[in-house]
Amino acid sequence: MVATTFAWVSSPDFWINVAILTATYGIFALGIQLNKGTTGITNLAQAGFMAIGAYTFAILVVREGWNSWVAMLVGVGAAMVAAVLVGLPSLRLRADYFAITTLAFAEIVRYLADNSRDLTNGSQGLAGYNNDWFKLSLSMERRLDDAGIPTPGFLVPLALVSVALLLVLTLLVGALVRTPWGRVLRAIREDEDAARALGKNTLVYKLQSLALSAALAAVAGYVLAFNLTLLTPEQFDPVFTIFAYVIVILGGLGSYVGVVISSFVLMTLLEATRFVELPLPADRVAAVRFVIVGAVLMLLVAFRPQGILGKRQEMVLGE
Amino acid sequence: MSDAVLVVEDVSKSFGAVRAVDGATIDVARGSITALIGPNGAGKSSLFNVITGFERPERGRVRFDGRSIYRLPPHIIARRGLVRTFQLTKTLSVMTVLDNMLLAAKDHPGERLTSLVLQPRASRRRERTARERAGELLERFDLGPVSGDYAGTLSGGQRKLLELARALMLEPRLVLLDEPLAGVNPTLGRRLLGHIEELRERDATTFLFVEHDMEVVMNHSDRVIVMAQGKVIADGAPHEMRGNERVIEAYLGA
Repeated sequence: MVATTFAWVSSPDFWINVAILTATYGIFALGIQLNKGTTGITNLAQAGFMAIGAYTFAILVVREGWNSWVAMLVGVGAAMVAAVLVGLPSLRLRADYFAITTLAFAEIVRYLADNSRDLTNGSQGLAGYNNDWFKLSLSMERRLDDAGIPTPGFLVPLALVSVALLLVLTLLVGALVRTPWGRVLRAIREDEDAARALGKNTLVYKLQSLALSAALAAVAGYVLAFNLTLLTPEQFDPVFTIFAYVIVILGGLGSYVGVVISSFVLMTLLEATRFVELPLPADRVAAVRFVIVGAVLMLLVAFRPQGILGKRQEMVLGE
Repeated sequence: MSDAVLVVEDVSKSFGAVRAVDGATIDVARGSITALIGPNGAGKSSLFNVITGFERPERGRVRFDGRSIYRLPPHIIARRGLVRTFQLTKTLSVMTVLDNMLLAAKDHPGERLTSLVLQPRASRRRERTARERAGELLERFDLGPVSGDYAGTLSGGQRKLLELARALMLEPRLVLLDEPLAGVNPTLGRRLLGHIEELRERDATTFLFVEHDMEVVMNHSDRVIVMAQGKVIADGAPHEMRGNERVIEAYLGA
């Protein structure tokens, strides 16, 4: 007996939730698109960079009483510095060593967050970082009400701001990779030695790619933090990074608009499958959701391996 | 030699127990077309890699245009005007032929994030001049009609032409070509050699190339350097190599 209710389609809460998740994962995955899709480097530290950004911001606000917006800038900077420190030794290594190093780094960050209880409260969670955001959110809600626009739920401002951020950042990064700078990144993806032989300091470009990606991860971390009321280390599990790779492959390697579309498709799918009614206990249903999503992805890769917006010819020539 | 554009002295490079380059000394006269020959495993490609910075030698001296380039990274050496091509062509398949060319443009402010953002006009201006130069070179190399195609769709010979044309975007004074004619049909091969001779006449560009086809070496080079087992065993005019016993011995493995 499998039953599905489609009441969610007309529920504003459902779509507000999907919008925020699309933005969180989308902004996060833009960085992976820049690294993997454009530069050809396999960064598995993205969840770690997100944690560094979010925790730097939250700690400065909660423990030091900083202004939120300043703390967010510092958080982005901290994530970028971390990216350069990780990349400097490991980007000289072979590609697979770099991937392993970044994965290890992300785990170290998570363990540190778990164990530095004085700063992060460990697994108890760190709260009280979103007062400035709530003030802004409330004033936005009021203004929307005054303008006669209905705001079903207090998360509407976050959904609007985060989706706007996603779109602006997508256009920005998409434009950046079409410049001569982006051309060097693509050359590195194709053949790093060729780029070096043509006078390009490839290490610098790879570091820039990684640092920009870490900045995007930090921004995604703020959206994630404002969607919650408590920061805990397990929110920064490396599986977050794997989701970003799924989004990038689903959307098409190298396509930035593809990231937005596939993040939306994946989040809709993940959220909608919550409403599948199965004659199973709740924890099993949670697992079945991922099986459904996995099956859809397999079908996609079988029938459209280049992804939603990827170019078939580029995939064939790239081999 | 006072008019040598490249001087390599006593350079050694080992991989484990294998001495790929074993105290090699060569010099390349400015404006010459010099051939580097030798049996397989003689160390020709390793020597190329050492000269262009892709491998770090254990000892020796490498001077280009009077300045040491010993152990400098490849991108610095390329920017100084010593540009190489590879035995297996490294055309960037998923980029267009034109993008391959533009990538090699020298001193492009649009390739640095700071100047790209702060001086967008300078970046656009440089891109325009790079496009003009790329267009001229592609016309000269008969690649104009395919400039919008992915480089991965070109034939093997066209890729060799593209790689040479792309190297020229850097306005090199010395070009190292690693087997430029391998896998190229004879017609295209002749054209490629014609381009090399023309460039030497027009711009006084120097060429050092590895080649296995002896007919090409004899007819198209001013000087021949012979390597075997990591060492230089002969060096002179092409006709002097014909009867050279050490050269014959190296090739026959006697």
